Amino acid sequence: MPLEVKLVLFVALALLTIAAGLIWKARSGSANSVKAGESVDLGKLKAVKDGAPVSQFGHKVTFVQFSTEVCAQCRQTARLLGEVEAKHKDVLHLEVDVTNRLELAAHFKVLQTPTTLVLDSTGRVRSRIGGAPKPNVIAQELEKLEVN
Amino acid sequence: MSTANETKPVGIDPRGPRFGATITNVLSIVIFFFALDSDPINQSAAYLLLVLAAALFAVGAFFGTSSHPYAWLYKKLVRPRLGAPKELEDPRPPQFAQAVGLFVAAVGIVLQAVGVTYGVAIAAAALFVATTLQAYFAYCLGCQIYLALKRSGIIRAS
Repeated sequence: MPLEVKLVLFVALALLTIAAGLIWKARSGSANSVKAGESVDLGKLKAVKDGAPVSQFGHKVTFVQFSTEVCAQCRQTARLLGEVEAKHKDVLHLEVDVTNRLELAAHFKVLQTPTTLVLDSTGRVRSRIGGAPKPNVIAQELEKLEVN
Repeated sequence: MSTANETKPVGIDPRGPRFGATITNVLSIVIFFFALDSDPINQSAAYLLLVLAAALFAVGAFFGTSSHPYAWLYKKLVRPRLGAPKELEDPRPPQFAQAVGLFVAAVGIVLQAVGVTYGVAIAAAALFVATTLQAYFAYCLGCQIYLALKRSGIIRAS
C-alpha cells in the first residue's frame, strides 16, 4: 500500500475517533426528562445506605445511581452526588451496584454506568442521566424539583 | 456514603492507566503503518509488535495494572514529576480495559494467522480508537460496555 493511502486512512481514522470522542463528551452526563416515569419500588431496589436498608425517598429529590465494580466514573459520580446530598437536606443519594443484579439493570434498561435516575418526592422517575453527570446538570435538576 | 463496593481493593493513581494508554496509543499507530506496508519484513514486524501488545495486555488483565511494566515506568519516570494524586481509583476498571485490549489484539493475531490480509491492521485501528478515547477523552471502557456485555451474556455473571 503506498504511503499516501496509508496516511489518508490513518488521518480519516483519527478524525473519526476525535469526532466520536467529542460527541461522547458533549452528550455524556446530560439529563433526559422522562415522561410518565415509573414509581420506583424501594423494596425491589434494595438500596442500602450506611449499612441499613432504605425505605424512604428523599423529601424532594432522590438520586438513584447505578454502578458496577469496573466503573471508574461511578466513584467520581458517587462523590459528586454525595456532596450534593450533604449540602441539601431534602436530597437523598442512593448507589446501587448492578454488577451481579442483571435483572434490576434490565428492568431500568441500564446499559452504561453510571446511570442516574432523578426521582421526585413520590419516587417517580423524572429524569435520567447517562454517564458521569455534569455539575450544572445536577443544579438544573435540583431547580426543577424546587430544591434550594 | 456510598454503599456499593464494600470490599474495595487498594486504590491506584488514576493517571497511571492513562499514561499506559498513551504508550499503547503510539504503539497502535506504529503497528497500523507497518501492517499496511508492502514490505513483508515490516508486515512481520507489525505482527510481532501486536503479539507484544497482547502479552502486555495479558499482564494487566491477569495480574492487575499495578504489575504492568507501564505502571513501573510511570512510577519511576512520571509520577515523581507530578506529585501525589488528588485521589485514588479502583484498580478494577483499568484491569477490565486491559482484558478488552487483550481480546482485540488476540482477534487480530488469529485473523492474520488464518489468512485475513488486514487482520493486524484492523486490530491496530481498533486499539488506536480505544486508547485515544481513553487517554485523551477519559473514556472508560468498563463504564461504557461492561454492563451491556454482561447483560447480553457475552461475559458470564460471576
